[in-house]
Amino acid sequence: MSDCDRVRELIPWYASGTLSVPETQEVTVHLADCGTCRKDLAEILRLKGAVENEARCLPRLPEDVWKRVAAEAYGRPIAKLDIGSFLLGFAFSASVRRGNVPVHGDLKLLGRKIRLFSVGQEEEA
Amino acid sequence: MLYERFADRVFRYALTLVRNRHLAEEAAQETMIAVWKSAHRFAARSKVSTWIFGIARNKAFDLVRREKRGERMPDVPLVSPDPAPALLKQELVAGAMSELPESQREVVFLAFYEGLSYGEISRILEIPEGTVKSRMFHAKRKMAEALT
Repeated sequence: MSDCDRVRELIPWYASGTLSVPETQEVTVHLADCGTCRKDLAEILRLKGAVENEARCLPRLPEDVWKRVAAEAYGRPIAKLDIGSFLLGFAFSASVRRGNVPVHGDLKLLGRKIRLFSVGQEEEA
Repeated sequence: MLYERFADRVFRYALTLVRNRHLAEEAAQETMIAVWKSAHRFAARSKVSTWIFGIARNKAFDLVRREKRGERMPDVPLVSPDPAPALLKQELVAGAMSELPESQREVVFLAFYEGLSYGEISRILEIPEGTVKSRMFHAKRKMAEALT
């Protein structure tokens, strides 16, 4: 494989800045003396910009997906009680998750949560 | 939080792979649930993004296989319709990307949009680094031809 062939394989990752330091140096040194590979780099940078713009136009993930993920991860809430203030408070929650009903009680002290009890928490897969 | 950092990126990656919004949405959902379930098993030998994109890839292809069996593969345009004529070039790029085989398209996406190294991409795709470079080489040539 010639120097140009090897460098051209690395140029896409040179353009995205993900090569190792020795590879980056190798490409930089080669580019200084090779007009053909410099043209290749310019072409790659143009493509990279175009792909980035195109990917930014892709639709975003709908927000309701989070609800489905959260229901699987944390369960569907069936009861919630939050009393007190930032300084001192108490939170109670119960949810349904895969036939299980985890119940939690937390003491809130200066914005921190301290778990008081947790019942029915299943083992995570 | 992992969901905030990755869910949208996983969705876009899945969309690049399967070119179907509903399947990509399902893949993103299943990926984030799988990430949550197996987070404690993540050994930190690789970057979190490499691990998550690897899961996303498997989920997306599983869904495609299931869909093919059920013969339900509705196709939707990837780029949201935009009335602005200035986006003609955008459409050209989108067209050039969609003309690429999926194996090259994902390398381009992961390298140029996600900024992953060829080593990271080889781990996600479970292929040799040389194959990643060669897929990029062919993708680059086809896209350049399509855009000139």
